[in-house]
This record gives sequence, C-alpha cells and structure tokens, in this order.
Amino acid sequence: MKCLLVATESAEVLFYWTDPEFEHNVQEQYGASQEEEGRPPAFEDSINTLFAPIIISCSTMADRLGDSYTSFTTENNHVYVLNQFDECLYIAVNGDGEENEEDLKRKIYVMKKLIDIMFGMVTLSSSLLRKELRPQDTEQRNRVWKKLQRLLETYSRLREQDQSFLVEAVERLIHPTLCEQCIEFLERRLVQQINSSVERAGEEVLHAFILVHTKLLAFYSSRNASTLIPSDLLALIIMVQDHYPSSFDLETTPEELESTSAPDIFFTPEHSPSDQDSGRLSSDSPPVFQFVDPDVQMAEDSLQTLEVPAPDPMTPSRVFLESTLKEGFCPMMPHSMYCLPLWPSITLVLLTKIPNSQVAMHVYGLLDAFVKLEKRLSEGLEGAAASRGQPPIQELRNKVDKFIRLLATLDFQTSHLQSVWSEFKNKAFTRSGPGITRALVPSCRSMKAQLCAVYRQCFSAECMGSHQRLAPTLQERALSMVQEKLMDWKDFLLVKSKRNITMVSYLEEFPGLVHFIYTDRTAGQMIAPSLNVTDRSASELGKGPLAHFIKNKVWSFVATTRRYLQKGYTTVTLRDGDYYFCYFLWFENETGYKLEVTDIPNLPDDLAPIGMLAWDYYRKLLRFYSKNHQNEVVKCYELLTMHLGVIPTEYILQHCSQLARKLWEPSRIPLL
Amino acid sequence: MAETVQQENKRCIYFFLYDRSKVQEEGDLTRAGICYFYPEDTPMDQQELLCGQLAGVSRCVSELSSAPVRLLRLRKTKYAVHMRDNFLWALSCVADIPDVSVCAFLDQLIDLFCFYNGPVRQSYQLHSQEELAVCLARYLSHLQGGSTELHHIFSCLRTIDSTNIDPLLLLKAALILQACQRCPLVLAGCILYRGRVVSTQMPPELTVKVMVHETETFSQDNRLRMNGVTSGASPTSSTVTTNVFLTPSELHLLRYPPVDNRSSDTPQPLTRPRKSRLLSRTLSDTLISDQDPSEFPHLSYQTLPSSPRSSLSDESCFSPSPSLFSTPLRTSLKSQSEKDTPPESQEHSLPNGTLPNRGTGGSLGGSSSPVAKNEVNYQEGGRLGSESNISSVLAEKDKNADGNSENRQVNSLSNGVPSEQDEFSLRLNDRLAKLELTDDSAGSGDDRQERVEEHLAKESKEARREGVTERSECMSVRSECVSVRSECETSLESMFLYQHRVRGLVLALLVEPSFNTHPTAKDEVYHSSLASLNGLEAHLRTTSPGAPGAQGPYTFAHYDCIQNTLTTNVCGRSAGPQDRPFVKATALLHSHFSYTDTLQEAIIRNASCAVYGTRTAAQETYFLQQGTSSRNSGIPNGQDSAFSLPSKARHRLLKHGVNLL
Repeated sequence: MKCLLVATESAEVLFYWTDPEFEHNVQEQYGASQEEEGRPPAFEDSINTLFAPIIISCSTMADRLGDSYTSFTTENNHVYVLNQFDECLYIAVNGDGEENEEDLKRKIYVMKKLIDIMFGMVTLSSSLLRKELRPQDTEQRNRVWKKLQRLLETYSRLREQDQSFLVEAVERLIHPTLCEQCIEFLERRLVQQINSSVERAGEEVLHAFILVHTKLLAFYSSRNASTLIPSDLLALIIMVQDHYPSSFDLETTPEELESTSAPDIFFTPEHSPSDQDSGRLSSDSPPVFQFVDPDVQMAEDSLQTLEVPAPDPMTPSRVFLESTLKEGFCPMMPHSMYCLPLWPSITLVLLTKIPNSQVAMHVYGLLDAFVKLEKRLSEGLEGAAASRGQPPIQELRNKVDKFIRLLATLDFQTSHLQSVWSEFKNKAFTRSGPGITRALVPSCRSMKAQLCAVYRQCFSAECMGSHQRLAPTLQERALSMVQEKLMDWKDFLLVKSKRNITMVSYLEEFPGLVHFIYTDRTAGQMIAPSLNVTDRSASELGKGPLAHFIKNKVWSFVATTRRYLQKGYTTVTLRDGDYYFCYFLWFENETGYKLEVTDIPNLPDDLAPIGMLAWDYYRKLLRFYSKNHQNEVVKCYELLTMHLGVIPTEYILQHCSQLARKLWEPSRIPLL
Repeated sequence: MAETVQQENKRCIYFFLYDRSKVQEEGDLTRAGICYFYPEDTPMDQQELLCGQLAGVSRCVSELSSAPVRLLRLRKTKYAVHMRDNFLWALSCVADIPDVSVCAFLDQLIDLFCFYNGPVRQSYQLHSQEELAVCLARYLSHLQGGSTELHHIFSCLRTIDSTNIDPLLLLKAALILQACQRCPLVLAGCILYRGRVVSTQMPPELTVKVMVHETETFSQDNRLRMNGVTSGASPTSSTVTTNVFLTPSELHLLRYPPVDNRSSDTPQPLTRPRKSRLLSRTLSDTLISDQDPSEFPHLSYQTLPSSPRSSLSDESCFSPSPSLFSTPLRTSLKSQSEKDTPPESQEHSLPNGTLPNRGTGGSLGGSSSPVAKNEVNYQEGGRLGSESNISSVLAEKDKNADGNSENRQVNSLSNGVPSEQDEFSLRLNDRLAKLELTDDSAGSGDDRQERVEEHLAKESKEARREGVTERSECMSVRSECVSVRSECETSLESMFLYQHRVRGLVLALLVEPSFNTHPTAKDEVYHSSLASLNGLEAHLRTTSPGAPGAQGPYTFAHYDCIQNTLTTNVCGRSAGPQDRPFVKATALLHSHFSYTDTLQEAIIRNASCAVYGTRTAAQETYFLQQGTSSRNSGIPNGQDSAFSLPSKARHRLLKHGVNLL
C-alpha cells in the first residue's frame, strides 16, 4: 500500500501516485460513506479530502510553531513521511512494510530531483510550478502525471533491483579495452561529426554515453563541457530506463512480471535491429496504445486507464543539469537529451547544449541576486546596507537592463518583465518611491517570478516547440555508426551487464567472502559482484531463497551504514545472524595515500537522506574534509563486505584491506 | 516555541492528555478537551494549538491507516502518541532520543496513571482534573528525575549501587520480603532505599510503578488527597496503604508465578530467554564474584529444580490463625537458631527429602509459592550440604555472625530462587565457602551429579502428575501480557499497596484487598518486619557511598533486559563531556538492537572513539575503551584498536560481573 502526493499549502493536489492497493483502500473508505449517492467520487477528490486535514495542519504548525511534521508511524506500522520544499508539501505513505521511513524520505527527495530535472528553475516559482505540474488542460495534466508516475515507478524498481541505485553510484562495465575504444570512437567519430554537421540546428553535443541496461559502457564529455555530476547522471539513467525499460522483465518469471505492476510499457522491448537499419525509428515498434473514448476518461478524471501516446524517440527530452562553466555556475542549465536505442537495453545517449542556453546562466545570476536582496530587506537592512557584501544595487540594475536588451535581441517576449522591472525601478531608484527598504520585498518577489517566467518561456519543453532538435537524419546516422561499431559486441555486452564481475573470481583469494560493494564517491562510481536473484539466471549465490536472503541483507546493511554515517560513524561492523558485515569510509589523496580520519559531522534526522542521487551528501562531505587539505585532491571511498560469520574477525579485516587495495585499480579507468 | 527552554535533565518537552469526546461539535473549545498539559505554565493558546493540531492529525492518519498513531515526528521534536477510547496521550522529547525510548517513556507514564488511578475514563469521572493533574505531574517528575541519560535510553529501574554494598545486606532485604510473603495476603514486595531498588520480587514494570508512591511519601505531602489512601493510624503512622490497580496479567503473574521447571523437561539451551517474573532482583544483580564460575565444580546447583508451585488456592486455604507465622517452617528455623546446635547435624536431621513438601505448603495456609519453594530447597540444601559442606559452612558462619539467624536462612534461601539466580547463588555460596572454609571436603562431582539426576527424575514425575504445564502457561501469560497492555484500562483489578517506611528505607508490598480489613494481617507483617527493616536501614545508612564504581580506562553499560536494570560506570546525573560519545553511540546501538532481532554484536567508530555493543536475549552490553589513538585512517585495518574491543570488553567487564563469554 503505497502513495506519493505533492500538494500546495492550500491542499491542492499537484501530483499523486498510488499503487492499486492504496487506491483500493481509499475507494473502500469512500465507497462505504457515499454509497447512497451512487457513483463514487473521483479518486483524485477522495485523495484530496483524505489528506487535506494533514496538509492544512502541517502549514498551521509551520506558521505558528515554526516546526513541521516529518513523519507519522501507526501501530500497524504504516509510515507517513512529509517534506516541504518551498510551497510544495510532499507526502509519501507506505502500509505494506516494504519501505521504511528512510526509504520514503529518499523517494520524496528523488521525486523532487526528477521534477527539478524536468522543469528546471521553473520550480523556484511556486505559481509556475503549479501550472507545470497541474496544467488546466486535463489531457496535458494526464500526460505530465503519467510521465512522473512512470518515472517514480522506474526509480522504485531500480532501487529494488539494482545495486547501483541502492548505493546511488554509477556502475561501469568492467572491460577496459572496449571501454577505451568506445570513448575514442565517441570522441573522434561521433561527437566530432555531429558537432561539425550543419543539421544540428544550433545544438552542440556536450556529453555522449552508452548504457547497457543501467551500466555505463563509455562516457565522453567534450572539452568545453561542464562535468556531468553523478547525481544528474543517475537521474538521467532513470529517465533512459523509463524510455526503454530494460529487459529485466525478459528474465523474470511470469509471477514476477505480474508483480512489477507496470502495465504501461510503451514499447515492446524487442526492437529488431534490421528494422532500425532500414527505416524510421518511430515506426518500427508501434506503441501499445489502447484507444479509449477520451470523454469517458475526462468524466472520471482518472489517470489509470488513459494511455498517452509515446513520444517520438527522435524528439529530445528537455533536461536541466548542473553546469559549472568558466562563465559561471548554473544549477539547472537546459540541455536536450536524445536517447537512441541501439538494441534492446543498449542505448546511446546524447546531451546537447541548446541555443541561447546562456540566458539560463543570466537568469540564475539575477534570481540569486534578488533572493539575497529580498532576504536582506526582510531582515530589516536598508539602503546600502542591503547590498553589503554583495555587488552594489546599481550593478544589479545594470545587469537587469542588459539582460532585457539581450532578450530583445533574441526575440523573446519581455513586456511583462519590463513592466515589473520598471515598477521595481520606480520604487527603488526614484525620489517618490520608498527606496531600498522592506517595502521593496513584494517587488523583489514579482521580479523573481518574472525571471522564472522568462526562463520557462525560453526553455520549457512545450515552449521550445518540437522543431528544435538535431535533424532526424543526423540522429539516424549517429545511431547506425555506433551500431556498426558495436555490432560484434552486442551479445557480449548484454551478458556482461548481467555478469559484470562475479564473486567466483574472488572466492579463492577471499574464502568466506559472500559479497562486497566498493564505491568511489568522488567519481560517483561503484563496483560490486552481480547479484542476480531471478530464477532463470542462477548466480553463484545460488537460486531462489538464499539469493534473495543475501540480497535483502545487503540492502538492509546499506541502510544501516547510512544511518551510522549520518551520525558521524565511518566504520561499522556487525555480526548479524550467520554473517559478518563490515563497512568502511575513508579518504585518500590522488596518489592513493590514506589520509587521516577526522570527525565528520553529526547530521540531524530531518536532513536529506544520505546518497548521491537526490542530494549529494558525499560532495558535501568531501568539501568539509578538504577544508583541512587545501593543497591536495581528496578522494573518498567506501567498502562494504559481507562474510560468513564463522570466519575469524582478523581474517575478515585482512580481507577487507586486501580487497580495498585490489579494487583501487579498476576504479582508475578514466571516465573521460 | 519560545517557552520550550530545554532543561538539561528534562527528557520531556511537552506532555498532554486530551479527551476528544469533549470536543466534537463545531463550537466546542479545544481547551475543554485538555485534561492535563505539561509544562503547566504553557500559554493556553499554545496548549490549544498543540492539542488541537496533533489530535486532528492523529485522527486523520489513524482513519487512513485504520490503526492508532504511535509516533509523530516533527523537525525538532518527536511525540510518542497513544490513542485509546477518545483519549489522546502525547509526550514529546528532543529528536535525538531513540524512538523506542520515547514510546517506552509514554507507556510507563500511562501505566503509572492506571496503576494508581484505575481506568482513565473512570478516574476522570471520579476525580477532579486538578487532583489528577497533581498525580500526572508527580509521575512525570518521577520518571524524569534523578537518573542519567543512559537510564533514560533504557527506561530502566534505578537500583542501589550494589558494588559498594555488602551482598549480605541485599540477601537480608530479599529475606525480609520473603518473610512478609508468609502472610498469604501478601502477593509480592520490594524494598527501596532513597528512591532506589534494593530488592524486589515484582516484575520490573511493577517495581517502577511502586517506586512512584515511594517518592511521593518521601516528600510526605498531599498524599492523603489520593483516593483510597488509608493512612495507617495503626500500627504506626509510618505505614500507608494505597489503592492500586493491576492488570489481569500482572495479577496472574503475582498470584501464580511461573516456575522454571526447565529441568523436568528435556534440556534447553542456556541462552533461551527465561523470563520468569517473580525474581528477587538483588540476588542475581549483585555480581560480586570476580572469579569465573566455571572454575567451580558446583554446576549441579544450576540444574537443581525449583519445586512446582503449590497448586492450592490461596484464598480457600487461608485460615486466619492467631499468628500467621507460627508455621512449622518458622518454628524450625527459630528453633535452629535458638538451640544453637551444630548446624550440620541440624541439617542432617531434616529428613532427606521426606519432609512432606505438600504438607508444609498446606500448613502454611497455601502461602504464596516462594515460601514453599524455599522450603523445598531448604531440604535440598540440607541434603547436598552433606556433600558439599556448604550448608555447614553457612551454619558456621551463622554461628559466628553475631548469631544472626537470618544469614542462614538467606543462604539456604539462595538455593531456592528460580534458576536465574542459581549462577549467582552458586557463586555466592562459593565465595562464602572460600571465606569460611579452608578444607573443602566436597564429594566427587559424579556422585553429586547422580543424585541430582535422581532428584530430577523424581521431580519431573511429580510435575507431570500434577499436570502442571507451566511453561505453556507462562508463555501464554507473556503473550497475553503484550496484548493486554492495550486493553489494560478496561479490566483493571483493584489491589492495595502497603508501604512501611523506616527513614530512607521503604518496604512496599502488593497485597490482596482483604489485607486491609483483616484483623491481624497488617500488624503481623508490620511487627515481623520492623526489626529487620530497622537493622537494614541502619546498615544501608552507614554504608559509605564509596567511589562511584570501579573506574578504569574504559566506559561500559550493561543492561539486563529481563530485570530492566543497568550497570554502568558512567557516573553523575548528566554524563560529562567525556561520556557524551559513549552515550550517543549507546543510544544508536540500543535502538538498532531493538529493531534487528538477528543482530548480535556491532562495533561503530568515528575518528575519536569506537564503541562495541553486544547483546543476547537477556542483556545488552556496551563498551568503550578510552584513550585509543586515532592514528589509523578509517581504512580497513586489522591493527585498528577498534577491533580488539570485543576481547577487551570480555576481559575488563569480568570484574564488574559482566560475563560476555
């Protein structure tokens, strides 16, 4: 029984996702009370009614106590987790014991991350975000909600099945030669060719990578591109998985298929390469689309049965990624993402810089300035004091003026922005106005809203129109180039992705070792023996219950280590049942010299969950640690092992240190 | 939030009891539903805000999930919540106290309220809000007062520091309690000294409840305001009898204490959690021996069975005799000490297992079973005494020790307590033997073993004949106990709590209602215990507080889950800065243990400290070695001092009586 809900402070539902069980539960509660009136109320209304008191109480508490709810637990172990982001309240519910409080919190943060990646800085303005998440047009709303619902389901599936989403680090296919060849190919042939083509419509490929399932085969970033941070890369992998659900399902048994509850697969996974060679991508595998009378659907206002037509794979998705360039920093820089399916489960992903993306950088700079100004003004600072430590307000004025001129040259609609800006200027800079005082706060707010609106106008997917993209022929050429390159490797890659590294190769050297996960937190990459628990592909853990048992143990141990890490403990060893678990986190410099350990912060419980996907804890940790190591590059590693409990502790520790040494090498394979 | 100035030792920030049934119409004011709010000086609008919001949200959530809310967490605080028939209890703590501890705290508070006042709804009908507010305030201050943060984490009983006390005093206390039980109307008792437990026969949950009243009478005010208080004008003003309410399961455990008849079954692994409830706490808690018990070949004691409890009904057999204590047991004991005959021969003169066990029980008027049990074991002790010479040693000590006849009783009784104590009593006996006996003329182990087995066979047959299936009964009682806890308010039974104070010392007995009306019972109990209590009090008073525990370059905490007691060398009310890391780690590990059943041991380390935690079904132990260098870098390293903690803990804690082997 699961549910995730996004609502405004006034209890308007902006988005919801429920599993069938939860829906059933709600309908039962409502069915009973409203039977006389005949038709049960629309599901969305029931949800709204049920949660409204909680949402309203939440904002009352925040207003009057300055404290807000973070979770509820009931006696039958239902868990409710609440988190407020700006003016949106996220509520996640679990009533089947499959997720604990921490999992739900993570789910909320991941949801927020996915919304950020899809809508960019529009999320900074609550009124705009409300429009994005809950468009007036029902059909459009269904499309948005369906997309988010599917993303959430994809994430939940990956977190359940994939070790790299468990520890939130990218897993790479360990095949150095092929990896190197591919990187070279992407650089010399593919990216160069696209970027020098006239058909690229002003776009420029910044990053190109090949995914096999969720694992990274090769990744190339062009020279003038910003680094793609692990958090964004992980979120992009979720999106790719959502486009092309990996054929995990092919290996699962029918029961498992049923339980994954993903009826809305848009593409049948079996693409035929020959079709792709011969013609248009979009035509080779028609989407599974059940036509239903839209009117009926609207009447019920139910999303459950309405299928949205699949987008053309040639149409890029708009994604907003963090960028640090020499011109400046922008946390949500617009990019276009092209997911080109090479074969089932093997995907080429291109991230391009879109025309005018420098506008985003300006918007961010201005937004930042207005946020700071507003903060100072509401603290009661006035006049020159309000801009102390900041660029003087005059400079801000010049910047805005320049920005409006820039927009005009780019043919953007700026009349709203201009009118709000002149109002601001009247208040701030004329004698008749109140000057730089608290009275300016509302004007700051409307400036921020206008900036977000401009940003939306420039970059939101709908506003950009569908014509802005790399020409289909160019995309097809790119696709066939890579297909040709990898043709002979295709089957190998599919197998390799399931057996990236196997425990067998470690057993002789480390008798008693059951499993391990080694993570390079600086690069955001992990190595772990594959843990396949499906019945058809027996791993060396065996089949069925034992493999499941070990998987569950590993999953829960990761959760445990995070809890201790949050409280500042970097080493944890547990004797749990018949197994002995170890966890270590340590720092090294670039040459592999182990740096001395320091006390790391003890974080309060209400902070974001530890990980890299939604909120990069390790980046903060590295920044914290580097304060005392200004002159060197600091790297952070984690090792997690599971041994048989009968192995003496001294051997286990010896194993751990040998393993850390041994694994240090493969993680050096350059990402670029 | 301005008024939530947090005091160092207050673990509770807010507490309230809210009656939803009084706020149902639109126009009803929230304040009408507030039965009690702590801190009492909280502004009314704040009270209304918290009660109204939390009650509303809890109700909404419990409707969605069709179950009451248990825990409600905010950014800065967390609330343990208890919702039962329109009452909402909520208690908030700072966020870094483990969830289990907060919930345990609230449960304790509710239990206390029900113990002294009966069902909530009924007590609010019978008494004014003001009266009950005084009670709630007292319970709250009692629960938060005077103990360390570690005590809060484990929600454990406060006990006297047994390391500084002559163990014989503890035995004496246990004996007083057992003597009181010779009055069949007495169910169980405990002895408290200055707010700490010296000895108790009750399960920990009950002991906690009894202790509140002790603190109350200690302050000596407003006690008469409470219901049912019949301040004992007779025999003296230092005794008080209070009406209290017990849950059926608690009462069942007191009336029919589960007896450990493990030995009559097939052998069970020793690690099995045995939760027989009627324990004399001191006996096993006082771990004075610094020797490994395995050194001594007296293991046969450990398998000595306790006799099955007397199946005779208490009520039917109780015949008010002129003196309740003129029982054969008493006379025989008296005569022993009075005659001052060589005890060995005295012991031998007891018929070797032929003294009719049942007969004694009967003549005691079906007194509660521990006495009967002791009786039996007394015989056994006598029987074995001929081999191990322990009894003779005891008797000899008896002779030497100021003619204190109780010593002997104590020692013989120590054989009779349920087997949780066996190890201890064994050790104690050994220690006494060592002290007093130079030539150990104990018979060969084989011989003894044989006799024990013989006895076991007999015992088991007996048990079967009686058809007593106590184990299953005991189990069902326990599960009942869990399920009943929620409905405890519905079917509480009225009992009385008798308290006798001698300066800082309090004897508290749970007695049947008829105790109060019985012509002689109270006097009998009073007079029989008065002298011993005075003596005990004098001894305890003169016991110097001593150095707080044995300090070493390490910190530890040992929690006994069954008796709910804590042994630690962290001293002081608020742990000093040097103990903070230990307390923090302990809180984390304790809550980890509490929700992971399979977890046996854990080591967690940060740059400055490493803490080792280990647990069995019956205990949890936490250990920190001080002054370890932090030269290692967090990488996996066998040389890391953190990983030697388990062996260090095993070694170091032995002298505190904590055996981690």
